Amino acid sequence: MYTNFMEKVKSFFHHLFIPHENNNFRAKSLHPDFLMMYLVFALVLTFIFKTTGVNVLGFATDVTVEKLYQLTNQEREKNNLPPLALNDCLSQAAHKKAEDMFSKNYWAHFSPTGTTPWDFMIDIGCKYEYAGENLAKNFMFSDGVVTAWMNSQSHKENIINKNYSQVGYAIVNGVLNGEETTLVVQLFDKPINSTVAYTESLINPKSVQAEEIVNVNKTKANLSSLPININIIFMIFLLAALVLDFYFAAKFNIIRFGGKNLAHFIFVTFIFVGLVYVFINGSII
Amino acid sequence: MNGLIKYLRHEVKKHTFDYLLLVTVGIFFLVSINIFKGERLLEFIFLLAFASFYIIWGIYHHIIDDSLHLKTVIEYILIAFTIIFLLKIIIFP
Repeated sequence: MYTNFMEKVKSFFHHLFIPHENNNFRAKSLHPDFLMMYLVFALVLTFIFKTTGVNVLGFATDVTVEKLYQLTNQEREKNNLPPLALNDCLSQAAHKKAEDMFSKNYWAHFSPTGTTPWDFMIDIGCKYEYAGENLAKNFMFSDGVVTAWMNSQSHKENIINKNYSQVGYAIVNGVLNGEETTLVVQLFDKPINSTVAYTESLINPKSVQAEEIVNVNKTKANLSSLPININIIFMIFLLAALVLDFYFAAKFNIIRFGGKNLAHFIFVTFIFVGLVYVFINGSII
Repeated sequence: MNGLIKYLRHEVKKHTFDYLLLVTVGIFFLVSINIFKGERLLEFIFLLAFASFYIIWGIYHHIIDDSLHLKTVIEYILIAFTIIFLLKIIIFP
């Protein structure tokens, strides 16, 4: 019984991936009817994700304040610098900045009306001696954001600046230039020494707003990774089918009409590289 | 394995320009989406452009190879469109 079942499985995979007389000397997984099935599958997925509202890079990224804060301090630790304290005042200012970017539709440190990042800090009541701002949008993962900042000299200088002692974050979803966008605002400062009482009350790693943002993003994280995983699995499956069909066709000297496996392989490989290294990364300023 | 290498060498040698063109456009595609990282609309346009080029490349290649058939064209179109729709879910929801 078990042997019979294993034979059937073996025969199924043989038919699916190896060219032989029963599949017209081309792997069944590369036949037009199967390719049509993949297209229908892709269309159904597009429809499902559209109707269920699971937006991958726009509104359901896996970027969290908790992780950004942890990674930022890890980078400082590597440079023998003290960790930054998570500051509620800065987080509120960062939130205001992100909301302003969505409402005035701009992607810059300074708004079209001339508002600077420091204006938001002053409005909230953050009293600082030095301050800095890093921005990121459309990233899929927190480590992608911090890595991109660390690869940019000006952003890196903010993260490993010895003058800063506090940091605040905002991760806000909205529509920017007609696109659903997730903005990340990171604000740094060194509070004025005279306001000791004020500073102490604000250096609270468990700030309410930060926790709220973390929770919102955690619930979306599981949904966001599904389409990425489906894409990666499908492309690996297609590449494997192409390689196996190509290998056995060459081995058995099979001559046939149809698309060139080498061309398909090159095309899918470029798309796969783009998916893994580029599409999941956003931009920083 | 020798059969595969022999076939690959023969295929690339016979159509050097075609494969060089496909790889060059692929590199341009990767460079373009890397430059405009985070600009979802532009990324999707580059994807559409690369997929369209791939279909045209397939038709051109099979005309040169004297092996053009409707089934072959459909094969290129189906692969390109499947990739477009799958990536659309990620890039441009």
